[in-house]
Amino acid sequence: MRVALMVVCAGLALADCGRGKPSAEELANFKPADPALATLYDHSCKACHAVADSGAPPVHDHDAWEPRWQKGLPTLVSHAITGFQAMPAGGQCSACTREDYEKLIRFMADEENKQ
Amino acid sequence: MSVNRRNVLIGSGVGAAVVVGAGALGYERAVSDKPEPPAPPATNAKGDLVWRNWSGIQHSYPELRVAPKSEDELANVLRAAQAPIRAVGAGHSFMPLVPTDGTLMTLDNIAGVTDVDANGIATMWVGTRLGDLGPALAAKGRAMANLPDINKQSLGGALGTATHGTGKHLRAIHGDVVALRLATARGELVECSADNNPDLFNAARVSMGSLGIITQAKLKTIPNRRLHRRVWLEDFDETVSKAEERWKTHRNYEFYAIPFTGLAANITHDETDEPARPRGPDTDTGFLEMLKAVRNLLGFSTGMRKTTAKLLLETFGTPEEAVDEGWKLLSTERPVRFNEMEFHMPAGAQLSALKEVVATIEKYRPDVFFPIETRRIATDDAWLSPFQGGEHGSVAVHAYYKDDYDFFFTMIQPIFRRHGGRPHWGKLNSLTTKDFASLYPRWNDFVSLRRQMDPEGRLMNSYLKGIMA
Repeated sequence: MRVALMVVCAGLALADCGRGKPSAEELANFKPADPALATLYDHSCKACHAVADSGAPPVHDHDAWEPRWQKGLPTLVSHAITGFQAMPAGGQCSACTREDYEKLIRFMADEENKQ
Repeated sequence: MSVNRRNVLIGSGVGAAVVVGAGALGYERAVSDKPEPPAPPATNAKGDLVWRNWSGIQHSYPELRVAPKSEDELANVLRAAQAPIRAVGAGHSFMPLVPTDGTLMTLDNIAGVTDVDANGIATMWVGTRLGDLGPALAAKGRAMANLPDINKQSLGGALGTATHGTGKHLRAIHGDVVALRLATARGELVECSADNNPDLFNAARVSMGSLGIITQAKLKTIPNRRLHRRVWLEDFDETVSKAEERWKTHRNYEFYAIPFTGLAANITHDETDEPARPRGPDTDTGFLEMLKAVRNLLGFSTGMRKTTAKLLLETFGTPEEAVDEGWKLLSTERPVRFNEMEFHMPAGAQLSALKEVVATIEKYRPDVFFPIETRRIATDDAWLSPFQGGEHGSVAVHAYYKDDYDFFFTMIQPIFRRHGGRPHWGKLNSLTTKDFASLYPRWNDFVSLRRQMDPEGRLMNSYLKGIMA
């Protein structure tokens, strides 16, 4: 079994294996490094994205975010601004700018260093 | 198997059972969903970002968005910023209370519980979200006496719209306020209470941001106790016949009439010293998905739909129990978006109105699948409190955010009006100034005070101008 798992991991270019799903404690503690962004995150995104059964993709949950990230950042930002399915428009952040949404999505998807 | 309504009744197992025998086509039909409703552009021609409410039916393009970090900053905004100036919390109001092309102000940065005095009076900044008040007060051994069923709202939004929970002897949140501080349209800070500026106090407790922006509130709190939560299904008729007795005997009691099933889901909360038994993972979304699936499959035949849904719910729906601190049980997540109309009837008229609403929906609106929420609220004396003048009972009708809700106005509102109902200030209604003047004895006094507080109408958006200019 372990060998098979290693083979699968080796075949994945993004090497997501082993990153796993965050625990409830990890979900509660994740926070953007930038203090201003962290404040926006605390007041809005965190209410749903740090709660495992809220229906929102949990912060740093790669399985949940990967298919969404494939849609492209502009689409995700657009969905965040105008709302999409269970995601309310603006993500309950009334002070966020378009740039804030981009940074918050990158943070939650754990894709801060990717273009 | 654990005894848990949400895990069993609402879970995906029931959803799967719905489509057994219907085959692949039946499955596709059961789980099918409408496309997203059209969204407004993300920005307008000037490049201003769109604001929409939680359900998506209200929107505007504020020229300026501000998040003051202090009362002084907030007062400066009121003095100088582009009108209309509207405060926003979580955007959970379905009525157009927030939309502005001027200034949108969030109080997210003016939040927290500052202290609790020896009498249990807590001083709170109104930017605090209700979901954050629970742990903040619990850390001081205190709790709000009651909470609404959604915890995302800001305290300011909840006060401004007379947001409430359920309980015959429990007031809406504004009913526990003993003092307020608000920033006027001129940028002045004013304090009020029953002894200091009493007219302003009685008017401002429920005022939708029309007299000024409330910054701080002092609220009565209670010792933080554990509650025993029970949830069970029973016949709708039996529930209606026992409801008054249950409101008398339980701390919190509410029920949801489940249309097209003949059943109701009952929920009680009572104080206890039993050890905590937390709720399990939330599966209410699965419950709604199941009701939607039954509608999709059998909506063409009310008889078949009722028989099937009742059989499924009675077979799989076992009671749920939990014990925990009140703030963890009274409010829940609501991940499925919807639109809503809620009116508050004099207590004696509530159940008659409910029965008429259920009968109307089952006769004319097979597209409805959301349960109908029925709660009881104690009276208070705020001028625009829907609960002013005696105990009131609320009935709330919901429509999935992708479904039509025009029938609220044509079929449901007339029933509520015939039963002497007053609308929830944040929920859908089409009442006018004349209607409000007849429902609220102090309406004219409120409007007169509003004109004194904000003669230039800097806090008035289109909707508020239409009803109270």
